[in-house]
Parts: sequence; structure tokens; C-alpha cells
Amino acid sequence: MSAPSQAVANKQPFDIGRAVYLALNLALLAFLLLPIAIVLIFALNPTPYISFPPVGVSLRWFEKFFASPEFMNALFLSLWVAGCVLVLSILIGGACALALARGNLPGRTFLTAFFMSPLMLPAILTGLALFQSYLLVGIGRPVWGLILAHTLVAVPYVIRTTLAVLHNFDRRIEEAAAVLGASPARVFFEVTLPLIRPGVFAGGVFAFIVSFDQFPVSLFLVVPKGETLPVVLFNYMKFDLDGAIAAASMVSILLALSVVLVLERLIGLKAYVKL
Amino acid sequence: MISHHTISRRKALRVGTSLAVLGALGAPSILHAQTKTLKITTWGGKWGDIMKATVLPAFEKEFKCTVSADQAFPYVPKLQASPRNDPLYDVLHTNSNEQWNSFTEGLVMGKITAKEVPNVADVYAYAVSDKIVGVSIFTSAIGLGYRTDKGLSKPASWKDLADPKLAGVRGGYIIPVNSLGQCHLMMLGKIYGKGLTDLDAAYKALEQLKPIKLVDFTGQMEKMLLSGEVIEGVIHDSGVYRYDGQNQPIDFSSPSEGVLALEQVLNVTPGSKVKELAFAYIDYMLRPDVQKLLAEGVWYSPSNKKVKLDAKYDAKLLTTEAKVATLIQPDWKWYNARKEDIDARVTKILKG
Repeated sequence: MSAPSQAVANKQPFDIGRAVYLALNLALLAFLLLPIAIVLIFALNPTPYISFPPVGVSLRWFEKFFASPEFMNALFLSLWVAGCVLVLSILIGGACALALARGNLPGRTFLTAFFMSPLMLPAILTGLALFQSYLLVGIGRPVWGLILAHTLVAVPYVIRTTLAVLHNFDRRIEEAAAVLGASPARVFFEVTLPLIRPGVFAGGVFAFIVSFDQFPVSLFLVVPKGETLPVVLFNYMKFDLDGAIAAASMVSILLALSVVLVLERLIGLKAYVKL
Repeated sequence: MISHHTISRRKALRVGTSLAVLGALGAPSILHAQTKTLKITTWGGKWGDIMKATVLPAFEKEFKCTVSADQAFPYVPKLQASPRNDPLYDVLHTNSNEQWNSFTEGLVMGKITAKEVPNVADVYAYAVSDKIVGVSIFTSAIGLGYRTDKGLSKPASWKDLADPKLAGVRGGYIIPVNSLGQCHLMMLGKIYGKGLTDLDAAYKALEQLKPIKLVDFTGQMEKMLLSGEVIEGVIHDSGVYRYDGQNQPIDFSSPSEGVLALEQVLNVTPGSKVKELAFAYIDYMLRPDVQKLLAEGVWYSPSNKKVKLDAKYDAKLLTTEAKVATLIQPDWKWYNARKEDIDARVTKILKG
């Protein structure tokens, strides 16, 4: 067969279904990524107000953000709180999911709904209720109170992702280990945990991001000189609406992305996707 | 020979431990007695910078206390949610509309007099008028901001905002959430109707202002004016004057019908455990030197009549009885009582 005739033979007929599929995917990507692109444009625009189209490229808003002790303190507090929430959520959420999936607990459906309930309540109400509770018992608004509050709303994410993994879990692997003489603790640490780890850590990533971006719950629970980044940004916006807000948003986005990438590299979240 | 006063090692340890425990238990109250903490609310932005850098440290030093200044909104809901006998704040700083809400709920005191705060004797009448609960320490004038490079003549009347040329480039506020928008609505009643409380006339006039660009915060309106997205809009004078000397093509106009007062009000919570310190703080904020520092820092008109501002500020701010007489103070008690209905109506008018 000659080369031109082979090319004609290899040429795929126009597939309208595939074209629509690709167009939809592109539209979805644009919908997700365009706001980030716009934030980046605002962050790099040197004008003292947010405007479009940009008049140039400057890092002045990033400099302002990193030079501000207020922003930096808030950023580090947010990272600290989110880090603690990640650890606590993994411990509490992972344990809850195991108990719910394996515990043969009476009222398991009710318990699952109960643990998921923070997701169903408006977060602002959770924040207000905790604020009142803390004041009623006279503990004020300590940082650990903020961490507990964030953990409360983050734990359901870990429970949900871990339950999903446990749902597809082949228990015969555990049984085989037990038959071969492994103790229950050894079975848990050497068989169960490695297999559910992607689900637990995927939930942990959600927990970190939920805490790092948490605004409504934090609103009532932060104290003077102990405000998280989203709260500082909100208050800043009321008085100074300039590119520093966009720069702060870019830093937040990059930090969240970094956490996901680091965890992916360390733990391999792709394994969870495969399940 | 063993003396009768000899203390055994065991006894000494026991007494020492007991004293240490007592000391540890008593330490917080001793510290509390030594250093009182005043819990206040305050604004952010340039105001907050001056407060944190200069005003509050000087107050702490003079009154040997610490000040915990909350800059995170929303203040009133947090105060509402805290116990009345141990409120979250000792001094509440808000605009007048929120003070009235708080007063209605018993969260703040009514009048503050010269008996509690001596400097109240030197304030302009508006600062303690029947339209104020607490005391107003500063005010801004709400009028019209405009671009000077778009061929507009300086607005002389509130009616100028309805000029058809300004369709789509005039600016206002989302009325339910912004007190400048609420003030403007009442002003429309005065300009086009029988007075500030003529809501029917106000609604009709509001309809005529469409299309109008709406924002939540005054900071946003400043930026809209700077960017040229809005070329004439409702704003307070300090929101325009703060760009003085920065070569920005914007200016402020006080309409002939008068300007609305945007008061910065301080008030004390009835359940405060440090009321004397709270009054001392308000007195301090009304001192001429503190008033001058903040007035010139953020372009607010000081309430204390004795304040002498530098010529640049004196020329633009409300610093004489005659200038202060142009201020119109809305009746927030009246407005707040109807707020839900007003919110529903204006949302319907400005929807879309």
C-alpha cells in the first residue's frame, strides 16, 4: 500500500462524541483554573487597585505580603493549626472509620450520620456554638480550641475516604495473616494499615486544606494577635483592597498544592485513585 | 543541743511545697491584680496601624495595663454570644448603627457623660446628641466622590448622582450590609421626599439610580473610583482624602443639602469588670493629642473642639461649629426597627 493511501486508512473519522467530550473537559478545566489565573494576574499587576487588563508585572504585592508581620504571623498560625488538624483528623477519623466498618456497633447508621453531621451544619453555626461553649466553661479562646474546632469539621473527610477504602477491602488478607500466626496488632500494623493508608491520608489532605482555608469556624474563635490567614484577609479587605490580597491568595493556593504534591510523593495518593 | 525552733527537713519540705502550691494557685489572680486587661474592638487598615504602633502602647504604659484589641469582625455577634456578666469586650468601637443595635439589646451603656469621661465636656454637640449612644470620638462626612479627569463638574447636590450620563458608572452600596448605603437611602428620602424617614420617596429615587455599581465595603468604593470603574459614587470624605498627595484623579464633594455623619462611636459594656479603665480609655481617645494624631493619620474629623489640626487637614475636615453644622445624623433607632423590611425592599429594587 502506498504512503498516501495508508495515511487515508489511518485517518480517524471525525467523532462528534469524542469532540464534545474533549470540549466539556476543556470547559471544566477552564472553569476550575481561570479564577486562579485571574488571581495571579491581579497579584502581579502593580496598580494600587484590582483592575483588568493589567498595566505591567510587579512583585510589589508579594513583597508587601511577606514583609507584613500581620500576614506572616497569620500564615504561620494557619499552617500550624492545619498541621495539627491533619494529625488529629487522621488519628480520630481513621479510628472512627475502622470502628464503624469493623466494630459491629449497634446503631451504626446513626453513628455514621452523627460523625458526618459537622458537614451538614453550616460552619458558621459550628463556630458560634463552640465560641459560646468555650466562653461558658470559661476557657476563653485558646489556640487548641481553634484546633479542636477545625478538627471537628475535618474529621468527616477522613472518615468518608477511609470508609470508602474499607468498603473495598478484602478481609481474607487479614485472615490469612492471622492464620499464619500474626497477632491482631501485627495484622493491623502490617496488613490493615498499609492497605487503608491511601484513604486515610487522602482524607488527611482534605483535612489540611479544610483547616488552612477555614473561615466561618475561625471567625468566632480567633483572638487578637492570633488570627488565621483567612480571617486576616477578610478584615484586610474591608479597609485595603489591593493586590496584597491576590498575592496572599496565590501563596495559599501554592501552599495547599505543595502539601498535596508532597503527600503524593511520600505516600502515593494515586494508589487511592486506583481503588 | 537541739533548739526548739529547729525545723526538720521533712517539715521544711512540706511547708515549702504548700507555699509553692498556694503561690501557683494564687499567681493568676495576683497577676490579674497587677496588670488589668482592657478588651476593646478597633478598626484595621491605617487606623489599626496607628493604634497598634503608637496609641495603644502609650495607653498601656500610662495606665499600667494591657489592651487586647480585636480587629476581627463581626464584633456585635461575638458580643451578643458572650456572657453579659463577663462580656468579650469592655469597650465597643463601631459605627453608630451597630451601637444602637447593641444598646437595644442591653449590650452597651446609653449615655456617657463628662462625669465618667471628663473630655466629653469638650466635644461637639453631635458627638453626644440624642442620635448617639456612647460617645462619638470622630466622624467622617458621607458625600460624593468623583473622578476629576472624566469631564465631570464637581457635584453640588445629591441629585447629581441621578444624572443619566452616570448610568452604569455611578456607585452605591449593598444597602443591607453597609451603613453608608443605608445613610444614602435615608438621604434620598430627604432629597426627593419629606425627610430622612420618607421611605417611599427613597425607594422611588433608588429605582432611578439604576444601573448602579454596588459594593460591600467603602474600601471597595475607593478602589472603584481609583480604577475608574465608578466615576461618581457615595463615599465618606476620609476614603478620598487619604489619597491626598498621591496624584490620584479623585476628589470629594459635600453636597449643598448636607453631608451624613459616619460616626466612630465608643461605648462601654455594662458587665465590664474594668469599667474605670474602659472610661479612662475613652477619655484618652478624646484627648486633643491623640485626636490630632488619628485625625491626621486617617482623615477623620475629631470630636474634641480643642483639637488644632495642621492647615492641610483643617481646610478639609469638620473642625469648626459652622462646618459641623452641615452634618446630618440619621436616626438609627428608627432605621434598625425597620431594617428587615427595608432590606427586603431594596434587594428587590436593586436585584440584578
